[in-house]
Amino acid sequence: MSIHEIAGCIGCETCVEVCPTDVIQFDKKNNRAVITYPEDCQICHLCRLYCPVDAITINSEKSIPVMVSWR
Amino acid sequence: MIKKMNLSRRQFIGVAGGIIGASAFATSLPSDIPSESGDISSEKGAMPSGPAVEKKSKINTADFSVEHHEADVLVIGGGFAGVFAAVKAHDAGAKVMMVAKGGVGTSGLSPFAKGVFSYDPKTAKMSIDEFVAKVSESAINTNNPVFTRQLAEHSYDRVQELKSWEFFDSPLSRNSFMLPIKERKIPVIERVMITHLLKENGRVVGASGFSLNDKKVIHFNAKTVVLCTGSGGFKPSGFPVCDLTHDGTIMAYNIGAKVTGKEWNDGHPGSAVNSGSCYDNWHGQIEEKPSVNGIMVNHHLGVDANYRAYTTGAPITMGPPKPGDKNTVSNEGPYIPPAFRQTDMPPRPQEDRGILSMFSKKENSGPPGMGGEQVGGSTAGMAIHKSEGIVPIDETGLSTIPGLYAAGDALGSYMSGGIYTQIGGSAAGSAVQGAFAGEAAAKASQSVDLITLTEQRFNQVQAEILAPLKRQSGYSPAWVTQVLQGIMIPNFVLYIKKDRMMQAALAYVEELKEHHVPMLMADDLHKLRLAHETENMIVTAEMKLKASLMRTESRCSHYRLDYPDIDNKNWQAWINIHKDDQGEMIFEKQPFALWPKFS
Repeated sequence: MSIHEIAGCIGCETCVEVCPTDVIQFDKKNNRAVITYPEDCQICHLCRLYCPVDAITINSEKSIPVMVSWR
Repeated sequence: MIKKMNLSRRQFIGVAGGIIGASAFATSLPSDIPSESGDISSEKGAMPSGPAVEKKSKINTADFSVEHHEADVLVIGGGFAGVFAAVKAHDAGAKVMMVAKGGVGTSGLSPFAKGVFSYDPKTAKMSIDEFVAKVSESAINTNNPVFTRQLAEHSYDRVQELKSWEFFDSPLSRNSFMLPIKERKIPVIERVMITHLLKENGRVVGASGFSLNDKKVIHFNAKTVVLCTGSGGFKPSGFPVCDLTHDGTIMAYNIGAKVTGKEWNDGHPGSAVNSGSCYDNWHGQIEEKPSVNGIMVNHHLGVDANYRAYTTGAPITMGPPKPGDKNTVSNEGPYIPPAFRQTDMPPRPQEDRGILSMFSKKENSGPPGMGGEQVGGSTAGMAIHKSEGIVPIDETGLSTIPGLYAAGDALGSYMSGGIYTQIGGSAAGSAVQGAFAGEAAAKASQSVDLITLTEQRFNQVQAEILAPLKRQSGYSPAWVTQVLQGIMIPNFVLYIKKDRMMQAALAYVEELKEHHVPMLMADDLHKLRLAHETENMIVTAEMKLKASLMRTESRCSHYRLDYPDIDNKNWQAWINIHKDDQGEMIFEKQPFALWPKFS
């Protein structure tokens, strides 16, 4: 299911800033990043690579069926 | 039929198109919907909603604030082109602002560029003249030699600047890209989607969009605008282009600029395993530092793999042929100039990774399409880098609209032509073109005044931006996008083209454009972005089909089963597209090597 979990978030908002497809939103009330639109995750791992505390885990499968040109 | 078309066009222009002809639109919108809930609370995303859903928006459009900014040069986009445009415009004395849909150095294709071409005159094994001739030979003359030469002449200097920004010292480019921006104190606004270019008295005077963070519409007044918005695709699977939807091309088209290159295709396949994962498709290369490479002119990433899949069926593999490989390039199908046919090369030993060694030192690393069992269309909707985008009228990337410049993948410079030619040329070309456009835009801004639109015009633009939030019933952008993908991405529509299938696809795409785009609906800022992106993809699909139907030949990455040969008599030409005064999409030939004038 694409980006899977944010565990141990320190509320720095980096992942929100670096996600190209706007998958992660910041919950100001609880000071943490929230996976909000996993269906739009392109599984590029930028959020994981930029996270300063390695809080993000990612799975390789998309949460919605994938359209390809041929299979 | 005629009545329906007229109604549809009015709807299209009024609701979703450019600001031209959108009179009295603001007063015809439904009244605001009361706010239901505040900020985002759900942790899990849902599957895309079905068609014609009815629900209340989470946000009230009356709560939106409006922000105005002024600059001499507005740079839209924060990749290679955008950073160099902003830096060079600043250094030329202009007051610069940068705005980006994502983050600087973390959106579009720039974060994933691992090879950067540099023509180093001290070590190059061929002259610049020979390099340009080699690219032209591979590109079957579809390249614009002015931009090919510009790449060679200026890539070394741009690479030296990238080195000084420590770009090659980290796999992550954000800090490097931000370094020269911070040094110059250039203001940057990130996570703002620009949807409109503003035009007054025939020239561009700014741009407008909305924030993805807050309920805010943002207007920029600028003397010149540089579009560094990258290319786009149909949110395909396995290539990190899902945030790019040809936004720059479509907003320029909407104010009358000429755009080009919609018949070409980037032909990256993806991995059969975990097709939707960019990271897996790139085999870990995303975590590697970028590197510099020299001359390596190819003719690849066209339609050869798609042709093989079409004729023989899956599975197929791609990459350099190996001894005993069944899937070598045949003499049938897409034409490859003799000097670039890999089957003509002597067989390689197994341990020689050939082209892969240019990309990565890791054994199994490399970009999509290299090694393993493949599926098609990982970049569906994207053309060969720099073959599509805004039509330039000179080597600075000035468009056919005064004051509007473009650079990088947003510029249809034909630096490489309609086929992928020079390895690493895309990143270097964006840097080179960004520098040219930024400097030219700064210079041009010295002789013009800032022009502010009337309050009424700003209100019209704002109403168009927020329209999807106001609809109480309509269509979910995610669902419309899935439908579009189903129409456009199959191999027998987008890659192995023929008249009948493209006409059939066009009927579907026109239905989406006329009926569904005016009813795209959003209930939060993320879906507002998706709504605008979906519209841009649908207009792009129409352009791609019509340009592909018009080009009755096969050349480079454009392949037609019903016109399989090169037609040099009729097609020594690019196809330019523009919107006329009646809102019609007009297609015209632009002979190779000629430049258009201002619209």
